[in-house]
Amino acid sequence: MTALAVVAPVDIAALRATLAAEAGPVRFIAGGTDMLIAGRPLAGTGLLVDLARVAGMAFISTDDADVRIGGATTVAALAADCGLRARIPALCEAAGQCGSVQIRNRATIGGNIANAAPAADLMPVLAAAGTRLALLKNDGTQYEAALCEYLPDSGHLIMEVILPGNALLPCSAFVKLGPRRDLTISRLNLAMLAEFQNSHFGTVRIAAGALGPVPLRMHLADAALGGRKLEPATLREFLSALATEVDAAIPGRNSQIYKRRAVAGLGLDLIAQAVGLSPRDRLFEEAVE
Amino acid sequence: MRMSLKVNGAAVETEVSPISRLSGFLRDVLGLTGVKEGCCEGECGACTVLLDDEPVNSCLMLAFQVAGCEIVTIEGLCRNGISDLQQAFLEMGAVQCGYCTPGMVLAAEGLLRANPNPGEAEIRHALAGNICRCTGFETIVRAVAAEAAARQRAGR
Repeated sequence: MTALAVVAPVDIAALRATLAAEAGPVRFIAGGTDMLIAGRPLAGTGLLVDLARVAGMAFISTDDADVRIGGATTVAALAADCGLRARIPALCEAAGQCGSVQIRNRATIGGNIANAAPAADLMPVLAAAGTRLALLKNDGTQYEAALCEYLPDSGHLIMEVILPGNALLPCSAFVKLGPRRDLTISRLNLAMLAEFQNSHFGTVRIAAGALGPVPLRMHLADAALGGRKLEPATLREFLSALATEVDAAIPGRNSQIYKRRAVAGLGLDLIAQAVGLSPRDRLFEEAVE
Repeated sequence: MRMSLKVNGAAVETEVSPISRLSGFLRDVLGLTGVKEGCCEGECGACTVLLDDEPVNSCLMLAFQVAGCEIVTIEGLCRNGISDLQQAFLEMGAVQCGYCTPGMVLAAEGLLRANPNPGEAEIRHALAGNICRCTGFETIVRAVAAEAAARQRAGR
């Protein structure tokens, strides 16, 4: 057994060359904010590749139809990017509520996906946006896969996160519920992409985090809003759909009763943010009367 | 492995273990014990340092990842005597046991370098990754606001 070796490639060509030349196990580190938490042992052998400063792996491109984000882009960069906020504000909102300033300055979008935490804040937004990933195998082969098909244990490196332009919708929102306001792990989070005009919803896509190992697309909730007028009756159907989805996702879990109630308040906050209303608007009070 | 970097304004060239955390490297190799290790989970913020002007948790980085970078620890803020930000902490009574203070000061310094005129909510948001066990948050926020105002007045 040989000791752990580390390498910090300067660009993507050097990264590819490093991977191609390595016969043994390869692991990646970028921000390290989940990987280095005390109690999680670091592998003592093999090659550890630092992605944090690979030129060309940290970028946000919003000028073309598809939004493309480099895998090593930091969460802080996502939160601060005006172009991204114009295309999908929910992703900026989720990024801004992820961890602390210190964590956002290091954590990356690729790491948030690869770490596969059920409560990861970026994941529901990415799931609702129909995200695809550009992945790199050690042999140099690059391929695309849907986010929902990505296997964290594959060892394939997330080079780019692609939000297809035809799946982005004009309105979006992200809300989370945790034990404290900042630096909090979501007990429940929701993301929504929607068309909304003249008080009517068009297409709606909603996803939830912390209801299972991967983000849950909430098709019943989509259907409760899709094509409907924003009014108390619609909201009541929406809340009923959310509760049904929670019951189906975590039947018998200790958190089921809490989360089926919490999802109602969170769901109304989600809609308020998406359509630009105050969460205290009379409309929402009428929905729960 | 061998690496070079800048720490508190001085060039450093040193050997580093591939598995050393940045916090351990700064404390045990460079003797910068103002860097505190609290939780080693990114929750308490006591290990905060500035990496190229941005606050980071030094417990959640490997030391080799900062090769070629510039690090500022609390020792780097007071090379010419106590800094104005530290003085503001003292004057506002924002220091109790002091364990969180280095990380708190560096998180605040990172905020003021990025946003010279923060509102109270922005200060609280910027310090959310730093926990004070002595519950001195109110005075800490006041100290950061006072230093921001002082820098504005002085055009710093």
